[in-house]
Amino acid sequence: MESNKKSADIFLDISVFLTGFNKMELLGTGMLETYFNVVMNMNNVASVESFLAESEKILIKNQGNEEKINNEILHKLMPDSLYNGLAKNIITMWYMGNWMNTVISPQSYVQGLIWGVAETHPPGAKQPGYASWSTAPKTVQ
Amino acid sequence: MINNKTYDVVIVGSGISGAVMAKTLTQAGKTVLLLEAGLTAGISLDRNGDYQNYVDYLNTFYIASAKVPNSPYPNIKDAPSIDVLDMQPISGPNSPSTSGYLVQAGPLPFASDCLRGPGGTTLHWLGSTPRMLPNDFKMKTLYGQGVDWPISYEDLMPYYEMAELEIGVSGNVNDIHWPEASNKQEQVELTNKFYGKDYVFPMEEIPTSYIDGVFTKLVAEVNTKNPVKVSGKDTKIKFSTTPQGRNSVPNKQYPYRDITWDSKTKKLVLQKDKYWCPETKEVVDSPLDEKYEYLPVGATWDPNTGQRCEGNASCVPICPVQAKYNALKTLYKSDRHKITIKTQSVASRILYDEKTGQVTGVEYKTYHTADSITYDTNIAKGKIYVLAASAIENAKILLASNAANSSDQVGRNLMDHLCLLTWGLLPEKGFPFRGPGSTTNMSSFRDGDFRKEHAAWICPIDNWGWGWPVFSPGSDLSNALAKNMFGKELRDQLADTLPKQLLLHYECEQLPEPDNRVTIDPAYRDQIGNYRPVIHYDASDYMKKAFETAKNINNQLFKATGTQDFTFYSPTLTADYVGYQEQGYNFWGAGHIVGTHRMGASKKDSVVNKDSRTWDHDNLYLVGCGNMPTLGTSNPTLTMTALTFKAAEAILKQLEK
Repeated sequence: MESNKKSADIFLDISVFLTGFNKMELLGTGMLETYFNVVMNMNNVASVESFLAESEKILIKNQGNEEKINNEILHKLMPDSLYNGLAKNIITMWYMGNWMNTVISPQSYVQGLIWGVAETHPPGAKQPGYASWSTAPKTVQ
Repeated sequence: MINNKTYDVVIVGSGISGAVMAKTLTQAGKTVLLLEAGLTAGISLDRNGDYQNYVDYLNTFYIASAKVPNSPYPNIKDAPSIDVLDMQPISGPNSPSTSGYLVQAGPLPFASDCLRGPGGTTLHWLGSTPRMLPNDFKMKTLYGQGVDWPISYEDLMPYYEMAELEIGVSGNVNDIHWPEASNKQEQVELTNKFYGKDYVFPMEEIPTSYIDGVFTKLVAEVNTKNPVKVSGKDTKIKFSTTPQGRNSVPNKQYPYRDITWDSKTKKLVLQKDKYWCPETKEVVDSPLDEKYEYLPVGATWDPNTGQRCEGNASCVPICPVQAKYNALKTLYKSDRHKITIKTQSVASRILYDEKTGQVTGVEYKTYHTADSITYDTNIAKGKIYVLAASAIENAKILLASNAANSSDQVGRNLMDHLCLLTWGLLPEKGFPFRGPGSTTNMSSFRDGDFRKEHAAWICPIDNWGWGWPVFSPGSDLSNALAKNMFGKELRDQLADTLPKQLLLHYECEQLPEPDNRVTIDPAYRDQIGNYRPVIHYDASDYMKKAFETAKNINNQLFKATGTQDFTFYSPTLTADYVGYQEQGYNFWGAGHIVGTHRMGASKKDSVVNKDSRTWDHDNLYLVGCGNMPTLGTSNPTLTMTALTFKAAEAILKQLEK
């Protein structure tokens, strides 16, 4: 359990750099536990463990230096040839609520980060109310 | 148990035509048996069950990986629905694509779907309700194309008003632009002539989208400074706001409260001071001291839900609050003591007396549970029969019965709006992916002399980004990931581009052509032995020339407005890819399935008369978009609903003869 908790923490920390969203924003989706379980269950465990170990190393070694962290992520996590494309799949999961092409759950769709990035809401949920569409979104007014 | 009762009317299908028919006939005191092919759960007369079932639809939509029009709804093997995801290119003659419900014989695959289930396609429709233009009814006379209707716009006007009340249309009559009006006065005169001087819709206009404002402002500048050239002539592009069947603020000037049958004059009447009372089952006077105001019709499970559009931006495929009209709202207004609903009951054949032509029954198969391979076969009996099962299913049932086809027109003249999509990035943020699917349309090319040469079109400004052609925003994410973008760079890139996405679609009017048709073939049947529709379909040069002209106008508009063009066409984008003048075009279906049993003035070349009664069988009526001789540039639901009120009036008249 302890090691699982630690792995989940690393998963969250590296997700911050992968997605461009801060910890509070990611936790605010309420999806951390679900997504961590998807990553653990839908992949080769050894491969996930080495991905998380590499992530931890990058984060500790370059603590406080965002540029260096991003540079190492680009070369050591992002390439498709590494960890079976896990980094991109994690990003897609946070943005779309999908694992590969499958929507994880109704909530994961609703909590997709991409809708906020587009300054809107997931179609069919979190509706902003009558006539909201006739003005610019509230977030940028 | 076999039900031997003879009803006044047997109706097949609970979509908008079947529902309008059921409501109108039962409120006039007639007994109705309604056969519905879809699942029992979809028609729930208790509000709790109704709500739970709708939540299931919504959750199914949430987890659908491709959120296509039928994605929230059950697709039952015993009554399969068309799924646009089944569309494939057709490899050659005599090798149809059979992967979906439709057997697509080609040469091009038919690109539209509909929903077989309670409430029909109104569950997933967009909700746009423009009327057809007066000239749309006279295509042959005015432009030498297609056929004329047996009725005029003026004949249909009172029924349009009924349809607008039943659906609950929001809109502004004065914001509907007439293509032939060259100045303000002509515009006002035409509106007065064709809507009536004081006519208003039941509800105020749905607010137009922010992106409508951005784009129409850019085009207004183009109109003044650098107008688009069409055939070498400077042409100003004009827009109309789109009337639509979704709830907004009631219009205080709107006078009508109900549509009732007057058995003295034998007419359906739009009532100002009377209404059909569900408690007493009769037409009663409004209280004298009451000041009437139109009341938006809310969700079927709770009248206080969905009183206004809440901006869910998911009208297609599902409005979570039912602020968008669907046919169940109408169906539930039926007199419950007069209507019998049999669900999971799929009509397979019509039986008729060979000598008299009188229809004697509808054979239907009732399956026990979803996808079950067992079923009972029964015969439904009525004095009058109404097929309201969709254009494709109506034609299929008639062909399977060898009925109503002395003209050889059953199944022929299948039409759709062929949609040419164009997409680009606006020079400023328009904030799409919000609000109803479309609130404004480019209306300049809905009519004109050019219809002698190529199709007319309506061009809605779409409010949902590039979702339709390229599955935005998911594809924008995968494209960025393919470039190894991540973190803040990824977030910024998406935040900068997604809000600038603009999509237009040029909905081109397909003409009736005898070889675009539905047929049946004993080799292709569904799980319970009913025919699967075989579709033969192509796009003529009349369509392709419209694509060329529309794309040319679009290119000028994009350039002049500073919109960065991202449109591309390719055989891999959709299965409908055509070449014209050395240029390739994709087109998409509009979901407007029309024309398979057209009405006409003569039994020689049409299936039904102007009252929607089949020429060959005195007691058989067909309702739905299949009746439309031509399509015009309007979304067809409003027109089909108007025709259905006209048909209901004729049926009541016939029953009370």
